[in-house]
Amino acid sequence: MRGSVAQGVLRRLLYALIAIVGVAALVFVLLRMVPGNPVATLLGEHADNETVERISSSLGLDQPLPVQFANYLLGALRGDFGESYTLGKPVSELIGPAFVNTLWLALAAALVAWVVGIACGLFAAIRKGTIVDRLFMGFSLLGVSLPVFMVSMLLQYVFARYLHWLPVAGISDWTGYILPAIALGWGSAGSIARLVRSSIIEVLQQDYIDTARAKGRTNSQVLVLHALRNAMLPVITLMAMQFSGLLSGAVITETVFSINGIGRLSVQAIAGRDIPLLQGTTLLCTFVIVMGNLAADLLYNVCDPRVRKGA
Amino acid sequence: MNPSENMNVVSVAEGELGLSSPAATFEEPASVLRRLAKDHKISIVSAIIIVLFVLGAIFAPVLTPYEYDSINLSDRLAAPSLAHLFGTDEGGRDILTRMLYGSRVSLVIGIVPTLLSVVVGTFIGMVAGYHGGKVDTVIMRVADIVMSFPTMLLAMVVMYTLGGGTANVFLTMVLVGWAAIARVVRAETLKLKESEYVEAARIIGVRQARVILRHILPNCLPTVIVLFTLEIPSSILTESSLSFLGMGVQPPSASWGLMVSAGREFLYHAPWLCFAPCLAIMAIVLAFNYLGDGLRDVLDPHLQSQ
Amino acid sequence: MTQSTLEVSHLYTSFFSERGEIKAVQDVSMRIGKGQVVGVVGESGCGKSMVARSIMGLIKKPGKIVSGSILLDGQELTSLGENELCKIRGKDVSMVFQEPMTSLNPTMRVGLQVQEVVSIHENVSKEEARQRTLAILSAVGIPEVKERYNAYPHELSGGLRQRVMIAMAMVMRPRLLIADEPTTALDATVEAQIIALLRQLADNGTSVLIISHNLGVIAQLADHVYVMYAGHVVESASVFELFDNPLHPYTLGLLRAVSSLRSQSKVLQTIPGIVPNLAHLPVGCSFAPRCDKCMARCTSTQPELVAVGSGHEVRCHLTKRVDAQ
Repeated sequence: MRGSVAQGVLRRLLYALIAIVGVAALVFVLLRMVPGNPVATLLGEHADNETVERISSSLGLDQPLPVQFANYLLGALRGDFGESYTLGKPVSELIGPAFVNTLWLALAAALVAWVVGIACGLFAAIRKGTIVDRLFMGFSLLGVSLPVFMVSMLLQYVFARYLHWLPVAGISDWTGYILPAIALGWGSAGSIARLVRSSIIEVLQQDYIDTARAKGRTNSQVLVLHALRNAMLPVITLMAMQFSGLLSGAVITETVFSINGIGRLSVQAIAGRDIPLLQGTTLLCTFVIVMGNLAADLLYNVCDPRVRKGA
Repeated sequence: MNPSENMNVVSVAEGELGLSSPAATFEEPASVLRRLAKDHKISIVSAIIIVLFVLGAIFAPVLTPYEYDSINLSDRLAAPSLAHLFGTDEGGRDILTRMLYGSRVSLVIGIVPTLLSVVVGTFIGMVAGYHGGKVDTVIMRVADIVMSFPTMLLAMVVMYTLGGGTANVFLTMVLVGWAAIARVVRAETLKLKESEYVEAARIIGVRQARVILRHILPNCLPTVIVLFTLEIPSSILTESSLSFLGMGVQPPSASWGLMVSAGREFLYHAPWLCFAPCLAIMAIVLAFNYLGDGLRDVLDPHLQSQ
Repeated sequence: MTQSTLEVSHLYTSFFSERGEIKAVQDVSMRIGKGQVVGVVGESGCGKSMVARSIMGLIKKPGKIVSGSILLDGQELTSLGENELCKIRGKDVSMVFQEPMTSLNPTMRVGLQVQEVVSIHENVSKEEARQRTLAILSAVGIPEVKERYNAYPHELSGGLRQRVMIAMAMVMRPRLLIADEPTTALDATVEAQIIALLRQLADNGTSVLIISHNLGVIAQLADHVYVMYAGHVVESASVFELFDNPLHPYTLGLLRAVSSLRSQSKVLQTIPGIVPNLAHLPVGCSFAPRCDKCMARCTSTQPELVAVGSGHEVRCHLTKRVDAQ
């Protein structure tokens, strides 16, 4: 059985690797489908053909696509993502600091989402059908329904421009993270709360909850010791899936709050037609998401003995 | 025995074995509506709001005296008034008019690509779930790849490659959207494949295509309908976010996301530029979410909220 | 007569839904002596499980005990608060549920699920609780207890899981054990083993209330039987009396259905009709619509439970008339 656990982990790692390489390939091909030579576009109309070819070949753009891709992957393994067309620096130097900012933002948002989401879902479930339930679920659905840019702008307007409680933009200290984290985390909090609620309600109807009560456990003990762990199983998967949502939202939040993160860098890369930079940011984001999913898979395995074998 | 006779034998055998799958009792739309009206009044309100938006989008030219793209610089940034209920924007264009035309974009982009994603995703999910084996593995790995991509970044890359514009937004949404649907439908198919009536149908030799169409698809349908309703709002959100970043629908077309993006500059002295489109996005997305929730409770109580 | 372990008198339990009151248990009285096995038999939906849940104080939300008394060794249970009930559940009264597949927590090792009961009710060291758990697990006939202690429910067969459930119910040596359809989900050989196990418990002094729709299980285990129909006790007698001299038409029907299966008769004897909707019970005897001996007064007046002999009671107008002659 130990062998199958190791095999399972290995297989998951393999899948993760396939996903990362797959995304890299997809982006690579997509970005090269753009009509015209990117070098020519960059140099403008006045550049002569000779210069364009010289620069193209120095960038390796004259080689066949698979060779270019292989070279790119080999470079990426060494931490070399090429050089940004527009900012004149190695991509790795640009995405490193940006990634740190995004990571803090995403973690802060995840904290908001998990704490608020789980708490709201839990209270709504145990107060099912009451005004508390309706209030929390309305609040959650609102979070799911409002576009991130709208929440960002609203929070910025009310708490920064109008009330002057918090910084309008940028992050000079931790207070700068508060508004973006709430804007980014609310939607996730909403979906977590909804899932936690329905999951707890479902688990509380299971036969083993009756068994636990028949043993003499009080209601709150039953909830904490028997219901919560089982109810959190589907939530773990959702949390991992939200990594993708958080990074997507970060593109918007960073733009509105002027945070120099991966998302804003990607927007800049697109505006400047900076292929290496865009490639670098997407690859990094994919890596983070895939690792998040992998962690969630493994965590799920630890928490649910039923899937531990073989899966 | 010719093939059509063979079909009849199968049908009779299915009947005798009590194999009419549970979907034989699939609810009439009228009865679904009745149950919604009874237990989920808010879903009915939501449905009415959606219908109003659809009517507004269709009859926009009749409902408003203004053109959505006629610039009138003498009326720049006018506050809401009787002539301009939601005010005018920086080009003097009537905001209500632009909102009505914008709802065409949002609704079409919310519904059409989602429908395509759902059709494609359902088909792929059923095939993967029913076949299993290598087909399943390959399909699910591809779905994993699509899903391990931050939606917004993938959309941005595609928009970059293909350029902005409505048609490309369509394509992007389908490319991104099918995977999540395929996953859910695959899981459902796996469950149905184990059920007695599907197993029995396979044992008595019902052809594979027939098992999928007669027994699996109808039983996935409630789930698919609920997913469809709940995917529409997220498509609307994606479109508005893309347009907000300037990577979606291009001006002078009106789109709610684009309007908010343009109005951002004037947020402090002309907040009505953002107010109206924000309100519209919120209303339509909430309406679809509430309707989806209601439908889920009525059609498919086992599907958990995602 | 010695004091009963359990004495239920005139119990009424109802559910209060939007459609009105659903009377799940009506005027049920029963007593169980020390070390006695009492069976409750009836079709699904007749209220037998609700009697068990009423005793445990585990009735789900829109339902509650309306009136009546439940005495456990003389202590009134219906007036106890939730906290006091928690001290009694699992310790003085315990319960084995119908579905061993779903009645154990899937993410918890089975040993810990049994051990939990000890640590709830007694302030003992972990090691002692573990020793007691291992002892009770082997007492209920689980082989290789040390390995099984660490198993998860999905790794055990249905029979083993039900033994774990019984171990859980037995570990505190309760005065009363309620078994709700304990063998329904199991196959015949495992059923026989579980029945033997329950019999052994009773011989060691635990009172057992066994609930089943299966007269065979009841016949093998119970000393005394209550037949329930639509929330009422319709007949109550010692197991021998009930099988020798059944008086209520419903009991007769149940017995006929069983014996037609045994005698391989060509026609399966059934009771025509279906169990009535508890929200809309007929006026008069609730069995009247399905009864082949139905008379005019059966559809107008509810019959009383009357004694017809030592420990034999019947709720039927027919019996009353016979009795009067």
